[in-house]
Amino acid sequence: MAKTNPDVEMIAAPNMLQIKIGGPIGAADLHLIEKADNALNEMRSDFALWLEDEVEKLEKSASIVRKEGLKGQEGEDLFIRAHDLRGLGSTYEFPIITRLASSMAKMIDMPEKREVAPAGLVLAHVNAIRAALVQNIRDTTDPVAAELAGQLEEMAEAFAAPWKDQPQPAAANG
Amino acid sequence: MALEETLSQTRILVVDDNAALRGVLRVSLQAFGCAKVIETGSVSQALDLLKSQAIDLVITDWKMKPRDGIDLVSCIRSPVSSPVPGLPVIMLTAYDGTDKIRQARRAGVNAFLIKPVTAAALASCLRDVLTGDQGFVETDSYVGPERREADRSDLIRPAAQLTASH
Repeated sequence: MAKTNPDVEMIAAPNMLQIKIGGPIGAADLHLIEKADNALNEMRSDFALWLEDEVEKLEKSASIVRKEGLKGQEGEDLFIRAHDLRGLGSTYEFPIITRLASSMAKMIDMPEKREVAPAGLVLAHVNAIRAALVQNIRDTTDPVAAELAGQLEEMAEAFAAPWKDQPQPAAANG
Repeated sequence: MALEETLSQTRILVVDDNAALRGVLRVSLQAFGCAKVIETGSVSQALDLLKSQAIDLVITDWKMKPRDGIDLVSCIRSPVSSPVPGLPVIMLTAYDGTDKIRQARRAGVNAFLIKPVTAAALASCLRDVLTGDQGFVETDSYVGPERREADRSDLIRPAAQLTASH
């Protein structure tokens, strides 16, 4: 928009960070977030219980995989449980569980991977997730948890590396 | 119009097969002052609700069985069979890969909310969808948001970034 000098056009430079994160929440709306956070605070005591339910589902699928292996529907079911926990861990304030579940899901998110995935390594993630929940270890500030998660991730990454640039099939979406 | 005022007139359908996560979303949306929050755990029931209830926006999980969130969005965007083909849809997912974003955008998703769910990320996503100016197209087989911008990474709402921005 022109100001005093007709040869100079004054423009508002875009705030790229703001654009990247979706723009600002208007000051008038910040109290909405505070209200929601306060409302969620009242639910917070239930988060670990809800996560317990999800980990039980994961363990149930894992026990079937121990007997039947990762191929077929058993492996797909285990992936779905790991995928669910990837999203729910941090929502329920256990980011370490999101990290472990994400590492696990990366190993079994495609039928081709499940054909050859080492079940022992996949199931080690399940044990680590259970240990984190039982010992109430929520993030990687715990040095043992950080070390364990790091090792599992490293091995999972190495296993999944050959598939890295392949798009996942429809069955693995979501 | 402030987000709060818009939400006070907005009826939202939450579709997720995880009841606890639906609860987190419901509590957040109610705290935001949404006019009505309806929830269901299945795509089939969601489609029934869209026929029988006045809904202004859908928030749906992606990975559900037997029908998933993409299936729901495809049904909503069909001008032949859908009662509300132009309905805004937010996809909730644990994935943030570009191939997933492309796939969901092709189906007609307006925006993504990447898990974990936080109040800040949810508010930002709602603000963008309800007050944004995303292009809209109408053809014989598809009604919904402009899909040529399927690679736009700014449509993703990573909660960690949003939390850090406050």
